[in-house]
Amino acid sequence: MTRLNEAAVAARRAVARLLPAGPREWISAIWAEAYEVPPGVARLAWRAGGAWVLAREVLPPARLGRAALFAVAAGAAAWVAWPQPGVGHAAVSQFHVIATVLVLAGLPVLARRFFGPATPGRAGRFLRVLSCAAILALMPAFAIVEAFANLTPEQPAYQRIACPNRGFGCGAVPGKSTGGPAWAGEIPLMLMTIAYLGVILFLTSRRSRVTRGTLAIGAGTGLLFSVVMYAVAPLGLTNDATDPWLPGSTVDPLVALAWVLLFGGPAVAAVLAVWRGRAPGGAALPRSVRMGQGFAAGVLATGIAALFTTALGTGTIALMLRSPWLLRWLNHGHQLTAIAVYHYETTASSGANVYLFMLIWFPVIGLLMSGLGVLCAPLGRPALAELPPADVSSSGAT
Amino acid sequence: MTSSPRFSAQTLSVLAALCDQPSRWQHGYALAKQTGLKSGTLYPILIRLADRGLVEACWQDEPEPGRPRRHLYRLTTAGLASATAALGTAALASAARPAATKAARTPAVRGAVARVLP
Repeated sequence: MTRLNEAAVAARRAVARLLPAGPREWISAIWAEAYEVPPGVARLAWRAGGAWVLAREVLPPARLGRAALFAVAAGAAAWVAWPQPGVGHAAVSQFHVIATVLVLAGLPVLARRFFGPATPGRAGRFLRVLSCAAILALMPAFAIVEAFANLTPEQPAYQRIACPNRGFGCGAVPGKSTGGPAWAGEIPLMLMTIAYLGVILFLTSRRSRVTRGTLAIGAGTGLLFSVVMYAVAPLGLTNDATDPWLPGSTVDPLVALAWVLLFGGPAVAAVLAVWRGRAPGGAALPRSVRMGQGFAAGVLATGIAALFTTALGTGTIALMLRSPWLLRWLNHGHQLTAIAVYHYETTASSGANVYLFMLIWFPVIGLLMSGLGVLCAPLGRPALAELPPADVSSSGAT
Repeated sequence: MTSSPRFSAQTLSVLAALCDQPSRWQHGYALAKQTGLKSGTLYPILIRLADRGLVEACWQDEPEPGRPRRHLYRLTTAGLASATAALGTAALASAARPAATKAARTPAVRGAVARVLP
């Protein structure tokens, strides 16, 4: 019980540190007064009242509504993603669900504390909501795909299809799934989720000084790129899986456009952001800030593309695994044998790994290409305010 | 001409409790016991009253050993004037329409009215 009390006190102090000064004082006052209330239900009710005051005073009605919406969406996603009985790596999968929800709920609060509120205007908020939705949608989709990809089929004919696709053979018990990744894979995945959300929260915060125009350029390029990438790789990048949709040819015009957007998109976004770099009042921004706008636009372009392509692609594969109509529709209504269906499903679920590759490398490419874009961008002459003060002693003025 | 603020029955009961001994600092739990309000109702009222400058708050100088410092409240001069006027209005309204004014039927308000308006 003492440990429970200590944990409660520590949790209260941690929450109190995140609050603005005014509400923090009032919440501390209610908490301190609880020691005067007789222990038991009365004290619990007093503290519950304090929690209500906290919600009411710190969260305005609009924010309370958004928090309720997030709670419902997170609850539904967690319910789908929660590992089924008998699936291996259950503890890892449970950690993935809990940690993802905590990251989505807690990181925006921390970001507000350390980076300040969101950039004024709709672009930043829109980008934040879309990114959180993508990460949340990815959670159940990833769980469904991983559970299927690691399921060892019972029949030998199916095993002959499944096992070579995985590249490491079928060592598990037939009819059982080893579930998602082990801890060695889960921790980097969670760090990547934190990095993605953290960077997006920073770039859409006031402290980053990224303008609305830069956000619109970066996010617009990223969304366009993600639509093209999704059309190219709706079921991963394996030709077998995309065969009903696309011929899988490397010279397909859409594939060519995807390559152009991968390397050209961030560079063009960076040039545009630098060229357009102006403060809300219309004044030109300093050179260093404009260069920062260029890098931000480029990283956003590829980061958003990777995140949304992954969410859409993994979501489509998960939907196909759960809804046979989708596979029939992808095959233009043709009747497929059970083994052909299994072939498509297992190829697509194995091909989902390519999205992880995108999540890691696209932002790196974006950073490099935006650097190139910034170098080529018309930065112009430095403004007077940026120039170092003139050295009067050496100017020759007498 | 300024109109006097209108208070809810719960707010009037808090003002009445604070009017009891206007110069004395009072604790939140004592106010809750006097008014019969839960913490989730009492504190938002205190916050609003403090925001409007009707109540002042401070932290206890010397806490009891092993206990955190407590928050103390009392009416400001403006708060005392505003509370006296509001309680008087509530008493008059209650006299005119005994069944219609819920606020004036609250025991704390009735007691305070008796003290404020002898």
